[in-house]
Amino acid sequence: MSILAYNGAAIMAMKGKNCVAIAADRRFGVQGQTVSMDFDKVFEMGPNLFLGLPGLATDVQTVFQRLKFRLNMYELRENRRIKPKTFMSMVSNLLYERRFGPYFVEPVIAGLDPKTHEPYIASMDLIGCPMETNDFVVSGTCSEQMYGMCESLWEPDLEPDDLFETISQALMNAFDRDAVSGWGAVVYIIEKDKITKKFLKTRQD
Amino acid sequence: MATSGMFGNGNPGALWTGGPVPGQLHNFPGVQNGATKGSSQRTLNPVVMGSSVLGIQFNGGVVIAADMLGSYGSLSKYRDCPRLLKVNDSTVIGASGDYADFQYLSNVIQQQVIDEECLNDGFGYTPKSLHCWLTRVLYNRRSQFNPLWNTYIVAGLDEDKPYLGYVDKIGMAYEAPSLASGFGAYLALPIIRDALEKKPDMALEDALRLIDRCMKLLFYRDARALNKYQVAVITKAGVDLRGPIVSDTNWEVAHMIKGYE
Amino acid sequence: MAQLGQPLSDYQRPHQVHFSPYDFNGGTVLAIAGENYALIATDTRLSQGFSIHSRESPKTYSLSENTVLGCCGFHGDVLTLTKTLGARLQIFEKEHNKPMPTPSVAAMLSTILYYRRFFPYYTHNLVAGLDEEGKGCVYSFDPVGSYEREVYRAKGSASAMLQPLLDNQIGGKNQQGYVVQPMPLDRCIAVVKDVFTSAAERDIYTGDNILISVITKDGLKSEKFPLRKD
Repeated sequence: MSILAYNGAAIMAMKGKNCVAIAADRRFGVQGQTVSMDFDKVFEMGPNLFLGLPGLATDVQTVFQRLKFRLNMYELRENRRIKPKTFMSMVSNLLYERRFGPYFVEPVIAGLDPKTHEPYIASMDLIGCPMETNDFVVSGTCSEQMYGMCESLWEPDLEPDDLFETISQALMNAFDRDAVSGWGAVVYIIEKDKITKKFLKTRQD
Repeated sequence: MATSGMFGNGNPGALWTGGPVPGQLHNFPGVQNGATKGSSQRTLNPVVMGSSVLGIQFNGGVVIAADMLGSYGSLSKYRDCPRLLKVNDSTVIGASGDYADFQYLSNVIQQQVIDEECLNDGFGYTPKSLHCWLTRVLYNRRSQFNPLWNTYIVAGLDEDKPYLGYVDKIGMAYEAPSLASGFGAYLALPIIRDALEKKPDMALEDALRLIDRCMKLLFYRDARALNKYQVAVITKAGVDLRGPIVSDTNWEVAHMIKGYE
Repeated sequence: MAQLGQPLSDYQRPHQVHFSPYDFNGGTVLAIAGENYALIATDTRLSQGFSIHSRESPKTYSLSENTVLGCCGFHGDVLTLTKTLGARLQIFEKEHNKPMPTPSVAAMLSTILYYRRFFPYYTHNLVAGLDEEGKGCVYSFDPVGSYEREVYRAKGSASAMLQPLLDNQIGGKNQQGYVVQPMPLDRCIAVVKDVFTSAAERDIYTGDNILISVITKDGLKSEKFPLRKD
């Protein structure tokens, strides 16, 4: 079994009208055995910037900590908020430094531009090859299921409430068909001056 | 091991310790005898190979073409190998892959045609029935792990309708208005499909021009192809097996290819 | 004899076989059982690696007036399996003077698949039809014959993309207060077209067309719907 699927995870991000959403499951498990159901895989990297890290749980936390450090250094030196696209480069750079001994995470980035409030989402593979899209990105052990859901449910210019419903349904129904992700979910709706964090109760099997 | 024979039912025993029983071959220690090991009698890797076969349906019939090269690895060993077999007046098959397996199956088919003709009941192979039969033969051979290492393209007229069928060494089969096996599937088929999309009701002349263009292209780009090929045209009038056709080639631009010296 | 840890000499090495009796030809099938109908849909693409062999090769096979088989995976096995099934059904019909009922077709398919337990047919199967009460029924199988009756199921290369959406839209999963009830045929067909269109976006082995077959007491009706062709 792939080391990327050792702990199990499902994360996706979607663009809406002047808003973005990022959602993740909450499971932490070791192969088939579920260990906890309150594991954080989505991290707040700024007021309007979020990072989702599906993959090997130990690398999830290490990569988050190292990125947080680099991000702090950047913002102290520049004395301004980072742009999501710049942050994406930072993640990509950090991962590519470990090109031949990679961190086993495939990050998802979602945020709004600190100045223009332009929505931004991106994902990348474990060695930092980025992919920016205008609709949605998915990453994790049930990516096929997530692609199937997102491709059918997503539509352009969703309002925050509709975006919440769309991403929640897409994520829940996707990870319900995956044995190693699920067990509750968290959804962040990111608007210009409002972050909404909601927990989803889902089936526990 | 059979131990009977001229010694009756009694076991004569080995001639010496670890040696052969009378009437049988000696197996040298440590050497696996190829003749008794099933694996080496099977085509698990091909020897003399034929490359692409192309087939196109046109208005009123089918054309099928194959070049005449028998490659021995990277060696262009035999330059006069016909890879098209006329089965009857409405059916032709073309083969890619191991040439020996094709010759074996050709013999089987030809004998079957003779047997069928002897019955004199007016029945014979149609392209459809031959294709179906080939599917079963190749599938059964693959199931015994003893494949016939070929891809066959069956071309003909079935109740006056053009017929083209494909079947490979594992019994994967289908029908389509244009077919190509081997490298032709990558190099020629896109061109053929494009031409067929633009002009679905092609005339024979168009089809032959298309075949010539594709065979030339394959000669330029497929290292296991030759510019000498056969074409079979199957129409209501019967099978017209043409060739060997040697197409003119033009190497004027060859000097522009650099970096492989 | 070879010593432990010593490399084997040429004649001692096991003969390496580079022949694979299997291949994967893609394709997706999907079936939904309604109150008085069964629907089964398939794409019409036949591929091998990065090549498309055929754009007109549906993977549903009508076995009798009210039974349709969806069968995809290795096309060589698909051809053999459908031939075997066809022959067995013909024998049944001649012996019993009636077509085999759908639940019995499913039971028989299970034994045919299990017969090849140690050299399996590499096929993903669905049987759709009407049961003896005239209700729609769908049976889904694994390649070695384990099977169960279900209301909806997707099989084949894009099954992972289709199944969660069917859970949601047909099964009403994760929808609070949703009462699961038989779905009208036109809505089913709309969902099927949507999910296949979505799958064709992401799965290279699904595309070209869908063939939707609907089985009712009045017989079999088919409809074609275009998908992306790249």
